[in-house]
Order: sequence, then structure tokens, then C-alpha cells
Amino acid sequence: MIDLTLKRLLSCVGFLLLQILLLNNIKFLGFVTPYLYVYFILLLPSSVSKEMTLLWGFLLGLAMDIFCDTLGCNAFATTFVAFLKPYFQNLFGPKDDFDDMKPSIERFGFNMFIQYVAYLVLIHHLMFFLIEAFTLSAFWYALLKAICCSMFTLLLILCFEYFKTRRR
Amino acid sequence: MRTLILFLLRFKTLFLFLGLELISFWLIVNNNQFQRNHFLSSSNVIVGSVYNLSDKVYKYFSLASVNASLAKENESLNTELVQLREQLAFYRQDVSYAGRRYHSVQNNYSFITAKVIHFSAVNQKNYFTINKGENDDVRVGMGVVNEKGVVGIVNSTSSHFASVIPIVNTSSNTSATIKGKTHLGQLIWKGKDFRYATLEEVPLYIPIASGDSVVTSGYSSTFPEGIMVGKVHSFTERNDNFYNITVDLAVDFGQLSYVDVIRFQYTDERVALEKRKGNGDD
Repeated sequence: MIDLTLKRLLSCVGFLLLQILLLNNIKFLGFVTPYLYVYFILLLPSSVSKEMTLLWGFLLGLAMDIFCDTLGCNAFATTFVAFLKPYFQNLFGPKDDFDDMKPSIERFGFNMFIQYVAYLVLIHHLMFFLIEAFTLSAFWYALLKAICCSMFTLLLILCFEYFKTRRR
Repeated sequence: MRTLILFLLRFKTLFLFLGLELISFWLIVNNNQFQRNHFLSSSNVIVGSVYNLSDKVYKYFSLASVNASLAKENESLNTELVQLREQLAFYRQDVSYAGRRYHSVQNNYSFITAKVIHFSAVNQKNYFTINKGENDDVRVGMGVVNEKGVVGIVNSTSSHFASVIPIVNTSSNTSATIKGKTHLGQLIWKGKDFRYATLEEVPLYIPIASGDSVVTSGYSSTFPEGIMVGKVHSFTERNDNFYNITVDLAVDFGQLSYVDVIRFQYTDERVALEKRKGNGDD
């Protein structure tokens, strides 16, 4: 149990460092930045309770905020995604229930997994950009930005999934 | 209590979610300058209107003290005005009658601000009462003005109050003159309308026009020279070579609230002198 938590914490820090040190520096076309760190939340297995998912999301977002000087914005968006994640997992995940199901292309099937990831990532990004702009009048710009960044993030997530399946 | 706890446990995920989002929101608003400004400015409409309303109410309640301070300011400004006017008159005299000096005309008048606390406005013999008396150096015979012009003369005093005969009293008799002329007239009130008084004993050979200012003469110590009484409203020529001038009074006696009592520094001296010679002006 402790071993598992430690492992999860390490991967959390790994995603965080990857995001902060590498991905945040990408400004494709001036504004397209992948926010891959949310992938960590999407990967949490179904054995993790909803409350724990929320806490993970909040802490991960808060850590991001502290590094990015956007105190609260990432935490808000990530907590929101962490709240939705179990429901989306039930919606798109395999119906034959396992005790400990890790979301992946293998488990979900390509179509379902893409939808699962795309929706949550889009919601996260949209949430983040709206909170950052802090006004609904910038909604269409935020939506455009969210869609572009989501596509980038999605691409990276698919790469990760590809390497994961290759390694097996 | 049990049901409450059960209820909380049942929705613990939701509450945790809401709690975390609230914390995030709090962090956003508290720590990010941009969002804070935006948040505050968007709620400004409400805050602003509330403050506006309370300000209106407060203003209403503070009217009394505002009035008092304005009256005080008026008092000092009036004092200054009269002093300057006298200085000006003094220097003019100096130019025209070199050698004939009246050294003591400067700083001879000062003002005591008082509030009208009672005004009987129904009778022919109107009086009003002010809240300053002998303790405040108000004496019988002193002139009373406000920012518009002449109001009346102090009739009797107690230690804290004074009774004033306004110029709208049938027994009031004040000397006044048309501005720019030197001929004295007697201002009386015939007991009809607070807005008008009558100026008599102005001889017919003086050219006057309606709209001319009627001011105090300065021949008595009651009022300094040149204080506004009113404007000539209309006039008729009488058979005995005098005008009958209706004066549109400057002071609105329907709305009398703060007045200034004029104190002349050397009243006693002047009165004593005039008595001794037996030819006082009044």
C-alpha cells in the first residue's frame, strides 16, 4: 500500500517536472502549450477512491500553480477533472468490472480511450483558460486555445500510450 | 445529528470537491493580482451603490453640523469682508480728504453667529429669538444680518438668548440709503408682505430706478456701511416731495436659520458721545 503510494507520488513528481521543465517552455504558434500533467489524474486506477482522486488532483494542481505563479488556476481545473474522472471512467471504461483497472488503450479500446482522454483534457484546458482569463467574454478565445492545446496534449498522451504498449 | 453525519458521509465526495474548489477559488482571488482586481471591479457595482446609499443617508444626518461649520465660515468671511470694505473706504477717504484721518475704522466690527430658534411670523409685531445672549457679547441695539443682508436689531437679551426685531416689524425703523447716494431714508414695514418693505424720506430730486440696491448707510453704529437691504421694486412720487419706495427685501424671512450679530467695538463710546452732544443720528 505504502509502496504503491510512493510509486504514485514519484510518478506525480515525474509528470510535474516534465511539465515544468520541458513542456511549459513549448509555445507552439505562440500560444499552444501541452498540459500533459493532467494525464497523471487520468491514469489513476479505479481502485483509488473518489476522495483520493480529488486530493491527488488538488495537490498536483496546487504544485503546478506554485511553480507557474498561477495560484489556484491549475488547482481549480485539475480538481474539477479529478471530480469528473471516475464518472467518465465508468462511462467509457470496460463494463466487465475489475477491482483494479488502470485506464489505458489496451483496457478501454482505442475509440473509448480517445474519447475518455479527449473530453477530460478539453474540459481541463477550457476550465484553466477561462479561470486564467477570469471572464466569460473571452470564452471563444479560451475555447480556441483549449482545443489547440488539447490536441497537442492528446498527441503526447497517445505517444505515451504507444510506448507503454510497445514495452509490454 | 446522526442524520446530518450520514448525510455528510453520503455526499462526502461532493463536499470534498466543493471544498477543494472553494480553496482554489480563494487562492485565485487572493493571490493573483489580475483576478483580484477583476473580481473586485466586477463586484464594484454592488459595493459602489451600497456605499452611495449609505453616504446619502449619512450626509442627511450630518446636515446640522455641516450647516454649523458653514455658518462659522460665513462668520469669519463676513468679518473679513467688512474689515476689508472699511479699509478700502478708509483709504479712499485718505485719497479724497488727505489729512482727515479716521484711524479707528479698521477692525471695528466683528460678527457673532447665532441660530434662529424661534420666529413668530404671524403678527405685525414680529420677533425672533436667537441662541446667543449676553454671555456671548450680544447687547441690545446690535444689528443682525445674514449672508443675504440686513435682518434686524437686537431688542432684548438674556444671558443665553436674545430677542431680535426684524425689519419686517411695524415698529422697526432703520436708516438706509440707495447705493451710491448719500441721502438717508427710513426703512419701515407696513405689515403686509415679508418680501417687501417701504423706504421713505428719500427726496424726489434724487434719480432712482427700479433695481437699484438699497444698503445700510453706516451713519449709526448698528450696521456697517453698505450692507444689502434689498432692491428697489417700484416707487411712487408723493405730494410732499418724497418718494414712496417699495423695497424687495434681500433676506427671505420665511427661511431664516443662521444669522450674524454685528458687534461694533466702540458702541458705548459713540453712544455716550452722541448723547452728550445731544444730536445722535438714530
